[in-house]
Amino acid sequence: MKAGQRLSLLRFGTVMLVLLILLAVLCLLSIAVGSAGYSIPEILDAVFREEKSPIKTIVVNLRLPRIILAILIGASLAAAGALLQSVMRNPLADPGTIGVSAGAGTAATTILLLFPNLTASVPLFAFGGAALACVLIYTMAWKEGVDPTRIILSGVAINSVLGAYNSLLQLMNSDSLEGVLAFMNGSLSGRSWYQVRLLSVYAAVGLILAFLCIKSANALQLGDEMAKSLGVKVNGSRVLLSGVAAFLAASTVSVAGMIGFVGLVVPHIARILVGSDYKAMLPTSVVLGAVVLLAADTVGRTIVPGMEIPVGIVMAVCGGPFFLYLLRKRGKVSGN
Amino acid sequence: MEISASNLEIGYGEYVAVQDMDIQVKKGEITTIIGPNGSGKSTVLKALTRLLKYRKGIVRLDSRDLLQFEAKELARRVGVLPQRHSAPPDFKVKDLVGYGRMPYQKWYSKNSAEDEKVIDWALKVTGTWELREKSIHQCSGGESQRVWIATVLTQQPEILFLDEPTTYLDISHQLETMRLVRRLNRESGIGVVMVLHDLSQALEVSDRIVVIKEGRKYSEGTPDEVITSRMMKEVYDVDCEILHIPGRKNPLIAYREIS
Repeated sequence: MKAGQRLSLLRFGTVMLVLLILLAVLCLLSIAVGSAGYSIPEILDAVFREEKSPIKTIVVNLRLPRIILAILIGASLAAAGALLQSVMRNPLADPGTIGVSAGAGTAATTILLLFPNLTASVPLFAFGGAALACVLIYTMAWKEGVDPTRIILSGVAINSVLGAYNSLLQLMNSDSLEGVLAFMNGSLSGRSWYQVRLLSVYAAVGLILAFLCIKSANALQLGDEMAKSLGVKVNGSRVLLSGVAAFLAASTVSVAGMIGFVGLVVPHIARILVGSDYKAMLPTSVVLGAVVLLAADTVGRTIVPGMEIPVGIVMAVCGGPFFLYLLRKRGKVSGN
Repeated sequence: MEISASNLEIGYGEYVAVQDMDIQVKKGEITTIIGPNGSGKSTVLKALTRLLKYRKGIVRLDSRDLLQFEAKELARRVGVLPQRHSAPPDFKVKDLVGYGRMPYQKWYSKNSAEDEKVIDWALKVTGTWELREKSIHQCSGGESQRVWIATVLTQQPEILFLDEPTTYLDISHQLETMRLVRRLNRESGIGVVMVLHDLSQALEVSDRIVVIKEGRKYSEGTPDEVITSRMMKEVYDVDCEILHIPGRKNPLIAYREIS
């Protein structure tokens, strides 16, 4: 192995190691802190020795599933964003671009406000809405192939129509918006092992598919004509990568509502840390996404005692300024 | 190997970019396509490499319809360096050149010993071996053009298509690129098809030149046959003399002075 190759491998290894340690520390912290704080020995004692105790109930039934969910969601959203940035060759691409958020939002709002008796099925409808909006955007953008600019523009158009419908619906039902707001701002509050089981299957499938897309994602970064002349089926790859990204993002939306910024910011940070090669960038995004979302959720549920700030809001509030910082200080946030 | 197009028509809607186009390019030869801006040079080059759809006509590689080739199969025989290409600036030269092996690999495979051998060869033959551990943004314009040519060479194509390979380069890098193209052709027997703007360069390196005017073929032949003051007037609307100077193999184009 040559010196330079070893260097970039070393860099990737170091970054991954640091992120994994950070994730582990965050997990422990997140288990310990909350409206009731416990020390680690107390927790271990409760979980492994005692038959039944309030500590055990809180830790095992409330905090643990929530931590796992945060990890799965952060990882999935970051992976989805990373794939989409390659598909669109655009630094602003994120799951919102291809209609996942607006589609899920529309479906969820409709169910919550017009058919409240179906509230239990919101995740299912949200997933379906996300998929439908995504298909609609790609169908509209298709003209002898999918051109990134057309996807983005048709996404803007369809997102705005769906957004208007959502606003109208909310205006007409302004007295029963609690559920809608919770969905729109993405929250992990009150999620249980049921959601963990559901999402872990989706996330596992989606993430495996994402890792299988690494080569195509890299090739698309070279430009359409270059990729095509290297024997890559450009349109096919675009649709495949978008499909995987939509699947990942839609499954998180169906479980936790809309959480912005992870899919946008995390891939950029990963790019700064380990470079643009998806072999390093995708795994880094996945772990970093988990770290960021877990941190945001932990902050959200502990920063104001007795009140939960939805993780989506924490993400947006912290993510925005941090993104601006990167943009100005580092000058490194770039597409192609 | 030979790629031949007959009766091509390319366009969209009412607009016809190229029509009645018959053109052949061969392995072992340097063919240059010249013509004014917007005459359809790049369009023809793209049609010959299946980067662009055509409305009428057929393109054959040897005797087989180009459309019947599987994407990777075609990429193993024909290499194209498009006019517009880009890579994330932090991509390493060696990694970028390695992408030329994609047509030989499955989606899961890593570089084989054979792949590494070809990559090393391409780096050496294009003079980019010393740059291999650098990232793209550390390369100068001329260097990065050679790196891209190395990438396409790694496909081990029988014919190499280059769309305006010297545009945006200064004269020293232009000549360097032309020398590289010529050397690849003479030493490795690889066919080269280029779109060029600089007629002196076309004159110097080409075995055959095809002149395109307003989407149709105006003439073709050896540089001597094609580059004439009459062609210059009719195609480019430029007055010039073609000067033969003792001691120089190729003639010079002397444009009329701007008065």
